Amino acid sequence: MAAQNRRDFLKTMGIIGVTAAGFSTSTTKAQEKFKLSEDRIGVLVDTTVCIGCRNCEWACKKVHDLPAGSLEEYNDRSVFENKRRPDEHALTVVNEFENPDNVLLPVDVKVQCMHCEEPACVSACIVNAYTKHPEGPVTWDSDKCIGCRYCMVACPWQIPAFEYDKAIQPNIMKCDFCYDRQQEGKLPACVEICPEEALIFGKRRDLIEIARQKIKREPDRYVDHILGENEVGGTSWLYLAGQNFSKLDFPKLGTDPAPGVTEKIQHGIFAYFIPPISLYALLGGIMWINRGKSKSKEV
Amino acid sequence: MKITLKILFVILLSAASVFPQQKKNTKHSMLNIDCKTCHACQYPTTDDPCLKSCPRLKMVTVYRSPDEAPAITVLNELENKYEPVVFPHRLHAQMSEISGGCITCHHYNTLGPVLPCKRCHSTERKREDVSKPDLMGAYHQQCLTCHRQWSHKTECVSCHKPKVKGKKLNIEQKILSYKQKKHPQIKEPTRIIFETEYKKGKIVTFYHNEHTKLFGLKCVNCHKEENCLRCHDVKNASNQNPAYYDTPVKIHLPKDQHHKICMKCHRENNCSFCHKNKVSETFDHGLRTGWKLNRFHKDLSCKQCHKHGNRFVKRPTACNSCHPDWKPGTFDHKITGLILDDNHSDIDCEDCHIDRDFSKKPTCNNCHDDKSFPKDKPGKED
Repeated sequence: MAAQNRRDFLKTMGIIGVTAAGFSTSTTKAQEKFKLSEDRIGVLVDTTVCIGCRNCEWACKKVHDLPAGSLEEYNDRSVFENKRRPDEHALTVVNEFENPDNVLLPVDVKVQCMHCEEPACVSACIVNAYTKHPEGPVTWDSDKCIGCRYCMVACPWQIPAFEYDKAIQPNIMKCDFCYDRQQEGKLPACVEICPEEALIFGKRRDLIEIARQKIKREPDRYVDHILGENEVGGTSWLYLAGQNFSKLDFPKLGTDPAPGVTEKIQHGIFAYFIPPISLYALLGGIMWINRGKSKSKEV
Repeated sequence: MKITLKILFVILLSAASVFPQQKKNTKHSMLNIDCKTCHACQYPTTDDPCLKSCPRLKMVTVYRSPDEAPAITVLNELENKYEPVVFPHRLHAQMSEISGGCITCHHYNTLGPVLPCKRCHSTERKREDVSKPDLMGAYHQQCLTCHRQWSHKTECVSCHKPKVKGKKLNIEQKILSYKQKKHPQIKEPTRIIFETEYKKGKIVTFYHNEHTKLFGLKCVNCHKEENCLRCHDVKNASNQNPAYYDTPVKIHLPKDQHHKICMKCHRENNCSFCHKNKVSETFDHGLRTGWKLNRFHKDLSCKQCHKHGNRFVKRPTACNSCHPDWKPGTFDHKITGLILDDNHSDIDCEDCHIDRDFSKKPTCNNCHDDKSFPKDKPGKED
């Protein structure tokens, strides 16, 4: 709840900022588009294939030096009773949903950072701790981070987590697409372990083509929607599903890149310091008027 | 011993993988299909068919009998970690007859030989063309889609037995036991009472056993796209409880689809033939047609008299319309189970069988006042 309140508070502040920005600045521009490679990679998640074995959760923790326990512990399907979110202890989680077409075949959905094509977290970060690599992954640098957590607010998928329980040098935690492993020519840990190859790793443009083919071949199996193809300007991780994505707890997002919004707000607030100054001037003015009123009443 | 085991194993493995190539070529080259639909090169050979990777949006396949399938396929890709998985291939093929057939797994098979999974699905996960899953993904996608629905399990060990160091594999024993395994006789429901939305007659009673027995139908004649789950789910009420079918069930397919199945034969019947207000009785030849089947006719299949396929036209009831060689003088009464004594063997048929209606009880009144059938018999029973 606390986070939600914080979010609401920031939203309100944002709205004020935008309004202020609207008055004062038309010169601010969104950051130039991120440099992306033609061959940038991605992962296509076929939720109709995933069986919810949660091997990916285990593998992810293993390679990120998080306490993982034994693989057998992940056979426990009772965790599906609650919907989980990726957090500082698990960078990816699998949730299970009821399948309206077949109660015996539940739908399992892996959640992790989507690695947006135009990531809001990167734009929101005021110290450049985030990097959008041309190959696709969005990574985060512990040495630069000041812990402002703007990225957490900016993310349209609500992914970055913060190590609140660490007093000294808490980290922002999110999926890094196993960038280091990829540099070594390895697959991301989750993709490598998936027994079903429900996670298809490849070039993003190939994956979109494959997803389209799958929908075309089995129109009864899939809804005609590749999540992440256009959402918030496109994401590296793409999803296929047999039902509407809103039923699988995905937020409904437009096709406009998220940074455009966050940057406008930020740049609006801070451009030449005009909006803060005018805001303070406005507040000062109100105070001054009220002061006069209360004085006149006293007299 | 170890060596023989190994040899046996290798033979089995190679048999499983070589099998598809050993079959007769079905001369698919003669078919009216452009070679380039499937082959990438100009001169494909058996060794290198240079197949395009699943370019066929429409599946091109030919019917193959489950008996062509190898009895057992041993999957041993993970030999370092797990014991081999013994896959009763033929058993699955047989069962698939009522649920989609061979193409359920051998999708995009060519018109040529049946291709093993490995032919198309690479063992590499990191690869250039990811349009089809790798071998591990392909196997798991095929097996688990069905198996997890009735086992409700997804852990590795539910299929893969972990390899224990130093423990001897008794794989050949497993193979033998799987080879002998047969699908148990499927319990057939006697009847299914459908509750429909037709107001003038809500209840349709479908006598399943009657249809299969009377019309000599095999399962596959009607059941073609069944889900394995129809029988294999332990949670499914109809498998556990034989009384399941004694209560009306709501129709599970759209109305038209139900009609389509029944209308194949019941084209000329009106609605009230099937739609009644109460559960109807089994088919009774006497009640329905007015000609009761006696003990000889009872055991005949319908087709022995009604020879026009599934159209049941009324047949003449005179004996010699079916038994042309039954003539007075030559008829051996013994085949009815009653050997006539000398006094009766020479009299006319109609003396006892009024109007030569042999379906009715014979009378003794024409000659005797104090005798009646069946108390008194004009001879001895065979």
